[in-house]
Amino acid sequence: MEAGSEIGARQMAGFKDFFQAANTTRVIAGRDLLESTGFEFLKEGAKRAFLVTDTVIRQTGLVDRVIAGCEDGGLEVAGVFDDVPQDSSTSVVDRCAEEAKAAGADSFLAVGGGSVMDTAKIADSVFTHGGSGAESEGFFLMPRADDGVGEPLPIAPLACIPTTCGTGSEVSMGAVVKDHERKVKLEIADFPLFPRLAILDPETTRTLPPHIAASTGMDAMTHAIEGYVGLDWSPYQDGRSLVALRLIRENLERCVQKPDDEARGNMLVAASLAITLNLGSTHSMSHPCGAHFGVPHGVANAINLPHVIRFNAEGGADIADRYRDLCELFDLETGGSDSAVGDALASYVERMAERMGLPSRLSQVGVPEEGIPDLVEGAMGDGLSLLNPREPTEEDYEALYKRAL
Amino acid sequence: MAYFKDADEVYEFIGTLFTDLATDEELGPKFRKANTIVQYRYSNPDSVITVKMLDGEDGQVDLGDTQLEPEVVMAMDADTAHKFWLGKVNVTVALARGQMKAKGPVAKILKLVPLVKPVFPRYRAMLEEKGRSDLVEA
Repeated sequence: MEAGSEIGARQMAGFKDFFQAANTTRVIAGRDLLESTGFEFLKEGAKRAFLVTDTVIRQTGLVDRVIAGCEDGGLEVAGVFDDVPQDSSTSVVDRCAEEAKAAGADSFLAVGGGSVMDTAKIADSVFTHGGSGAESEGFFLMPRADDGVGEPLPIAPLACIPTTCGTGSEVSMGAVVKDHERKVKLEIADFPLFPRLAILDPETTRTLPPHIAASTGMDAMTHAIEGYVGLDWSPYQDGRSLVALRLIRENLERCVQKPDDEARGNMLVAASLAITLNLGSTHSMSHPCGAHFGVPHGVANAINLPHVIRFNAEGGADIADRYRDLCELFDLETGGSDSAVGDALASYVERMAERMGLPSRLSQVGVPEEGIPDLVEGAMGDGLSLLNPREPTEEDYEALYKRAL
Repeated sequence: MAYFKDADEVYEFIGTLFTDLATDEELGPKFRKANTIVQYRYSNPDSVITVKMLDGEDGQVDLGDTQLEPEVVMAMDADTAHKFWLGKVNVTVALARGQMKAKGPVAKILKLVPLVKPVFPRYRAMLEEKGRSDLVEA
């Protein structure tokens, strides 16, 4: 079929009919950067930052070091909100925004993992534009100039210091929080949510437990692989995915088994390169595993990813060729059939997860067989299924979950 | 210039299509599996179509004012909606570009997109039957 001859036709190579690439976050990476937090954030217009974090991070002493780094550079810390739970919610967002206002802040500084950074992003939007966390939901719905057709209106300066190596939220325009009242996860994405500044310092992951380093690292690996093979691939994301995977290949297991600054720093960079909104069925399968059975996102991705790779690779030579690129990167056999290529990559992922001590089956992390119908319904309703290169049916998802069980 | 001159034209063409789909013996039950209420808010001309697709209930399409409370809101130019039904809009691209703006669990609606592909010729035929071949060339 000629490229672009059918609206929405799969286009896995060549000049695409359309793609969009954006990343407006200034990233600084290196050692001992925490002490420069204030110096760097002042450049983004911050004067009185409201620091958002969680109690676990605060107990490590990291927050005190960041505060000292702010004050050394002349940046005031207007207040600290350390009440972000593991799965943050709209009510937490609203409280965070209110406290920032009460503290007289003019900017937000997030120190934590995905939940902390996403909370800070949406709280910043509520702080700047009003409304509530629940009302913020939607894609490209933030206020714009010229009756909604002009440039998106900026939010207060936001800086992120990630303390895990997986989410990539520190450089993305997406955010997710739960709405407990409606029992749904709210997804929000728009250009102003790109943080102005991301600080990647290996010191922030020094206390990361090995199992968290492993699962969040596998999350980054899933972002990179799905981003490379998803329908919304782009040459820009290809470059990011491939470099991220090289860094993951060299550093993830080191980060888990014998961590040092270099491995931890490189994994922070890998996660920030891997993040994309172009994800696929692995994420569609993992989201309901978390929602229904509390399976940590990175663990669910590590279990589901190999099965989705095998499924996708059998969906056409154009898909398998993209996996072939990744096999080459991992020094795997690339000359076999489509299914052989998929199997080679999937097996590599499985062996890597096993060496890091991650569970390999959903049944090991509390998913019962009778839960599969709910999981299938969740995966089918997850919008990322639409970006998967091979369109999955209900029967496909049922079979995939059974294989992963 | 916009394809539709006023809201009544939007309702006459796109509204009629939604109403036909809601009562379609084959497609109606598939849409109701989405189990949601969607509101389409069009601009140029301003018009609103609200569609109830709840599992186990009859379909309902309200043109203009409605008592239904939407779970998902899709906002777009009426021209974009028209082109979509002609099969000329890639929804994921339109969302990425902000030509379609979505609020709520959009996945529930997006998974219906493959189902509506067979409807595109029906929309085209309806326009021609109503003497509006000019709109087919959008």
